Amino acid sequence: MGHVTPMGGPGMYVLDTASWRVVRPVMDKNRCVNCGQCLAYCPVGSIYAEGRQILISYDYCKGCGICAAECPKRAITMVPEVE
Amino acid sequence: MSYMDILKTAPQVLTPGTSACQGCGGELILRRVMQIAGANSVFAVPPGCMAGAGAVGWSDTNGCTAPMHIPLLDNTASFMSGVSEMYQRRGRGDVNIVAIAGDGASADCGFQSLSGAAERGARMLYVCYDNEGYMNTGFQRSSTTSRGSSTSTTPSGAAINGKEQGAKYVPLILAMHNIEYCATASPSHMPDFVAKVKHGLEASKRGFAYIHVFSPCPTGWGFKPSESIAVARRAVASNMFPLWECERGRWYMSENRSPITMAQFVEGIGKFSRLDAAALEELQEAASARYELIRRLCAK
Repeated sequence: MGHVTPMGGPGMYVLDTASWRVVRPVMDKNRCVNCGQCLAYCPVGSIYAEGRQILISYDYCKGCGICAAECPKRAITMVPEVE
Repeated sequence: MSYMDILKTAPQVLTPGTSACQGCGGELILRRVMQIAGANSVFAVPPGCMAGAGAVGWSDTNGCTAPMHIPLLDNTASFMSGVSEMYQRRGRGDVNIVAIAGDGASADCGFQSLSGAAERGARMLYVCYDNEGYMNTGFQRSSTTSRGSSTSTTPSGAAINGKEQGAKYVPLILAMHNIEYCATASPSHMPDFVAKVKHGLEASKRGFAYIHVFSPCPTGWGFKPSESIAVARRAVASNMFPLWECERGRWYMSENRSPITMAQFVEGIGKFSRLDAAALEELQEAASARYELIRRLCAK
């Protein structure tokens, strides 16, 4: 999956924050209405739009759970990461 | 273009991987302000959470795809005054000059330079993300910390029950500088937030624009990272953080006639967990008095 934010090329400071994650947001596309509330409030910018669809990228997601808390349709659940 | 279209389509300017805590309100504010301002901007982030999190990069790397400076803790506004002046002399008035600083670098250490730049009408947008303390160095109190907050320098205990002084209300002080644009915003009210940042960027071409943003801090305040936005929303709903704007003497506020109680606001926030009924009443009175003052200023 491509990065939500394009890399700045050489010289860009990027930290692997995905390694922090203990729970991951999983979106139930049957309940999702693509309103974009999760995208608007994600502090990491990990949720992106592809056309009308709202999708989650796990490249940098820290697993804070804001998207799940803000979803008006309760379409996002936080699932424990399993090694 | 609706606020959602901007958030969906405008390219991100900040690095995707910053070391800001999970659920950080400051990161959301920084990311959105930089996204709205775009890459045709010069940014400054003084020492604080966001600089430490990597917005300014480390060693020879940059934390974003636009020019980024790290001024000193106390000279952000004066530093950017000079940058702004030089860009105008070179005929590059189209470049957005944006400073994004915490409350320590704005209300305490950096207040002199901020006040000076505001009074001179330096053409820039200054965004203060107010997490009510020096969170980067271990949650020490600042002048914007609200009364009763337990911080590492004002711990709740037998001697004192959190910070004993009320918060300094910086946005009103800045509005009294007769600046081009002054507003308060909250990351929980995203349409309002995006509109104010856009408005601030436009105003920054004519003079000094200041936006004071409520920035919930899960690590420092002691609440769950997933509740950041909910805490910010409750701060607005309880009139603890009223939303208003002032453009060249014209005042406007988002009125909230039926606020939730202060007890509802502090619920689940660790730094307020030891407040008793009397302390809550004090907080309530201070919030109500502030709201009433703003309401009277905004009255037509």
